[in-house]
Amino acid sequence: MENRTKYLFLTGFCLAQVMAFAPQVFAAEKAERDDRPLIEPDVTPVPVDEALIDTENFEIGAFVGIMNIEDFESSLVYGGKLTYHLSESFFFEAGIGFAEGGQTSFENLAGNVQVLTDSERDYRYYNINLGYNVLPGQAFLTENYAFNTNFYLIAGAGATDFAGDTRFTLNAGAGYQILLTDSLAIHLGVRQHFYRIDVVGAEKTSMNTEISSGLSVFF
Amino acid sequence: MMIRTDTRTMTIAILILTLCLPVTAWAGWLWGEDEPDPMVQVVEPFVVWRTGPAVGYPVFHSSEKGEWLTLLQRKTGWMKVRDGKSREGWVAVAAIAQTRDATGEFVDLNVPNLEAFRERNVEAGIMMGEFEGAPVTSGYGGYWFTPNLAAELWGSQVLGSASEILMVNANIVHQPFPHWRVSPFFTLGVGHIWVDPKTTLAQPEERENSIGHAGLGLRVYITDRYFIRAEFKDYKVFTSRSTNEEATEWKIGLSIFF
Repeated sequence: MENRTKYLFLTGFCLAQVMAFAPQVFAAEKAERDDRPLIEPDVTPVPVDEALIDTENFEIGAFVGIMNIEDFESSLVYGGKLTYHLSESFFFEAGIGFAEGGQTSFENLAGNVQVLTDSERDYRYYNINLGYNVLPGQAFLTENYAFNTNFYLIAGAGATDFAGDTRFTLNAGAGYQILLTDSLAIHLGVRQHFYRIDVVGAEKTSMNTEISSGLSVFF
Repeated sequence: MMIRTDTRTMTIAILILTLCLPVTAWAGWLWGEDEPDPMVQVVEPFVVWRTGPAVGYPVFHSSEKGEWLTLLQRKTGWMKVRDGKSREGWVAVAAIAQTRDATGEFVDLNVPNLEAFRERNVEAGIMMGEFEGAPVTSGYGGYWFTPNLAAELWGSQVLGSASEILMVNANIVHQPFPHWRVSPFFTLGVGHIWVDPKTTLAQPEERENSIGHAGLGLRVYITDRYFIRAEFKDYKVFTSRSTNEEATEWKIGLSIFF
């Protein structure tokens, strides 16, 4: 019984002591504690800076193909293209191309006749076009390789320098783009060029079909 | 004949040069970059991955809340990302804008919208139309000093049945209601015109004149970072003769802004 009373008394006394001193003890401990880590980390979190992310909306490329120049045979055509992708669907394309007109049937049959001089047979064009990706998709080479593809429609206007004059030219066509990587693409395209010409008889609309394949890089 | 060969050689040289341009874009990839790729953490329940940068490409994967994604490159409204298991795919920029970066803040990405259109600083576009009945093709670039006032520089080519015309113009633009989605504007400017008559005409005579012009037009914001622009311009061609010539032109085209 005595023990029990002693125990209660002592416990009570001890608790009172602890409660009386504790705040000061904890406070002292708080003041002395150093919150800094032993090794200060070098890295501070940095916000994402958009300027550091590579934006690849431009595409530059070269193409080569065959162009049929109405009345003047078919010719090798080559050129370059610069594309700006406005969105996943629309893109601007500026292109230049070079070809050379051949002999008309009349020149071939009549013999020693020249409808155009040599320099007038140089065929050059430029155009500015708007394209639209209609069928984005994937092409599977084997079960392990899939390439992103786009089928696009494209149309625009520009000028053709041929037969001694520069002529307003409309063009329209379609293309198939195969992305080998996200930055490298193959293009296969068909384009029809229209302009008014009066070099062989009455003025008429000249229709020139171009089939080409090209390689382009995004940057 | 010699001259012809030279021009041909030069065009080939230019083509090769333009082909070399992208090499600068590859340089970083070849030699590695100092900056670590930026990373973001998904906070929405999930984001979907597509195989390519368009909604037409199939969804093949998704990242859950809490996953970290490395941002690799951007194409239009899409971001190429890599996850912790080295998988790569394309996520919509709008979805990336919902993620947080290392600081715990939402990622500050440029998502072009009507608000961005109202605050644009630079715009550029291509327009086509008719100049005195002949087809005209133009390109322009403009800089906005204030939301109401801009300066523009133009280059135009007119290919008529009788002549070929080149024009360079500079003008100021005033738009009274910059906050409207369909916003009218007025232009006033000066320029220079080069007229090259076709060789088939009896007396071909090249000439060049100064021009002054005034116009009015309309911008219509579509979506993303592009808008349609249409305008009508009235030109005065200052000739050395007793009377000045007048010409009218209308054009419509697509423009982008930054």
